[in-house]
Amino acid sequence: MAEYWGVKVEDIFNSMQERFRPEGAKDVDSLFGYDIKDEGKWKLTVKDNKMTIEKTDDLTGCIATMKADGETFVGVNTGNVDATNAFMGGRVIVDGDMGAFGKTGKLFRKFVIAQKEMTTKDYLADMFATIVPRFKANEAEEGLDVSFAYDLGGPDGGKWTVFIKDKKCTITTTIEGKPTVTLEFNDARDYVDFILGKIDAQSLMASGKAGAKGDLNMMATKWPILFEKYKDPMAGNVPQQELIVLKKIISLNEKFSTGPVMGKFLKGLKEQKIYANKCPQCGRMQLPPREVCADCRVRVDEFLEVGPKGEVRYMDIIYYAMPDPLTGQVRETPYGGINILFDGCKGNETLPHFIRKDQIEKIQMGWNEKKGTRVRPVWEENRIGDIWDIKYFEIDE
Amino acid sequence: MAHRKKNRNVGIIGIGQTKHSSHREDVNQPELIYEAVSLALKDANLTMNDIDCVVHGNMELFEMVHQPDLWQVLGTGAYGKDCIRITTGGTVGATISCASDNLVASGMYDIVMAIGFEKLQEGHTTGGITNMADPLWFRKIQSGALTGSSAYDVEREFGLERANRASLTYRIIMDKHAGLNPNAHRSFGLEFSQIDDLIRTSPKLVGELKLIEMCSQSDGACCVIYACEKKAKELTKTPVWIRDHISAHKEECFPIFGYDRKYPVLKTHKFAAEQLFKRNNIKNPLDYFDVFEMYDPATWWAIDWLRDFFALKGDEHLKLIEDKEIMIGGKMPINPSGGVIGSNPIGATALLRVAEAALQVRGNAGPHQIPTPVNHALASGFGGTMWTVMTMLEKELNW
Repeated sequence: MAEYWGVKVEDIFNSMQERFRPEGAKDVDSLFGYDIKDEGKWKLTVKDNKMTIEKTDDLTGCIATMKADGETFVGVNTGNVDATNAFMGGRVIVDGDMGAFGKTGKLFRKFVIAQKEMTTKDYLADMFATIVPRFKANEAEEGLDVSFAYDLGGPDGGKWTVFIKDKKCTITTTIEGKPTVTLEFNDARDYVDFILGKIDAQSLMASGKAGAKGDLNMMATKWPILFEKYKDPMAGNVPQQELIVLKKIISLNEKFSTGPVMGKFLKGLKEQKIYANKCPQCGRMQLPPREVCADCRVRVDEFLEVGPKGEVRYMDIIYYAMPDPLTGQVRETPYGGINILFDGCKGNETLPHFIRKDQIEKIQMGWNEKKGTRVRPVWEENRIGDIWDIKYFEIDE
Repeated sequence: MAHRKKNRNVGIIGIGQTKHSSHREDVNQPELIYEAVSLALKDANLTMNDIDCVVHGNMELFEMVHQPDLWQVLGTGAYGKDCIRITTGGTVGATISCASDNLVASGMYDIVMAIGFEKLQEGHTTGGITNMADPLWFRKIQSGALTGSSAYDVEREFGLERANRASLTYRIIMDKHAGLNPNAHRSFGLEFSQIDDLIRTSPKLVGELKLIEMCSQSDGACCVIYACEKKAKELTKTPVWIRDHISAHKEECFPIFGYDRKYPVLKTHKFAAEQLFKRNNIKNPLDYFDVFEMYDPATWWAIDWLRDFFALKGDEHLKLIEDKEIMIGGKMPINPSGGVIGSNPIGATALLRVAEAALQVRGNAGPHQIPTPVNHALASGFGGTMWTVMTMLEKELNW
């Protein structure tokens, strides 16, 4: 199995149980599928604030299945790949109920790549493996022919020689020939600390823990020019400064005066009547009624009752799990927003509202030459003078 | 529409913008603005001491900060200067550009700086947009800024397949343009061969409007510096002249979906474009302009609006897209920057249209510069339920 950023696909699945957040699983009772290319399929079952994950070829019954390749899946879970980009660019595909799949985001704590401790041996391997790539050939003068040897003691120690000749850098794991300089460390651990800048060369030499044979001055002056500084691979894990993000939730009471015109419309709803008003100049009906006709700039005083039945002229089917800013709740999808042309109105004098959820599929939109589906309002029992005194519209059969 | 000639000419002499991104947790709002302001000052080779007036704009309460210009004075540099705050919704960036133009043209100030900004990750975009709706009734019904109505219109007129393919072709052209613009927020590296796949797999948001077709939510800022003709000529070799601008508003008009073809509905893009071109004596805008930076919040709107802006007939607008004439190198390049679908820090977005159009006229837009000379550029802003601002830019003072 391939590793990405040091993480295998199965690491993500195997750690799900441990990362599971029961508080994020409230109201979730579903099966979710994961189909990871060349890696296999997994089925996640969430029920009664508990979860199970199994590797299986049978994804039947899953409400939604996520498809991705291993690199993208691991990348998204570890924060190495931008999830939105992957999704929009088609690298992650969700088959089935998108809205339901969105809930899996709250089910788990974030996957954190284990902080691997690097041992002296790991560091030595990394330090010498990166010497050739860190060599800056254009800094080596013509005819420069030197070799730097390392003799490092202790349990993790070893021997290395770095050759620079013909503007090329090579490395061996022995000490060969007559090196320009040989560095000797009693314990390889001190060498690692020296390279990482935790201890300085002078104090090592002074305490007899390290020494040099040959032309040390040559190495001290040339090395910093010829090689890029060694970068500690673990250093990236420690942010220089923690950047704090403040999270706030604002919830405020609001009240709005309706005025006499909108007030008449809202009072009408209380009495199961729908009022429009008619412009004395252009004759258009305004629904809901407005104080003036903005087109003609005249006051509009004539109120007429319209509907309550009419035809659907337009419907938006909303699939996106839209957060309702009034309540913070996500509206259940899909739902249908319709524009109704009431009996007594003409042209574009429509009113927007919702259609009964189970009737979305049956709605036909109308225009000049074609009648739309006929609908009627379904009223709330306790009406307070609010647009939601109409619960929704339903087909008038 | 009453309209008089300008008192004096006004040129754009400095342009700055941030990289647009959804990951700017490393800076706060004033710091984000400072990035664009300092780049614009550097571009104009000026310091804050040279600026006479600052015009500040963003979306009202999108970040839930009342009078953001107070806190943000740390980044705008407006401390101790005349500062005017303007907020007109999606058009705000274009409106602050018009205001700056008017302030200089009037003779009140010689050098004015316009700053548009948004940090959409810090507030609630859908919440902000829904709060625009009439609180007495419509707020409870609205679904943010999303609607499938344009898709429905195009689809009904030209059939689902052609409509979908035109929409995705437009989308992929924008993605390719955004890929050339180092400041663009999103570029996925899409290819035309992916059209069928994307039509099938991209999740639907509302009706036929798919996720891939909708603009992103970005953090970003843009700053543009305006100067009177005398100063502009002194300060730069390449001023970009503002020839004219127009704003057209319609009453809040959510219930316009009656689908009665005989019944007049004022479409502000069409209305504004007709007025603007008529009073500037431009007979064929498609021939006249070399580039158009259009406020395109979604592909469906964009393809539908091309017809309104350029007074095209039948399926001419779709053919422009299908023949890829809207690409860099085509007859009418649209949004070489990648447009709003590529980056959308809303309060900066409409100003970015003006800024990017001006960069094209100057000829130093960067990798997304149009290879042929750009002498006449057009920029549009869009907001509210149907509000339009259009700006005309010129390379020479010869109209």
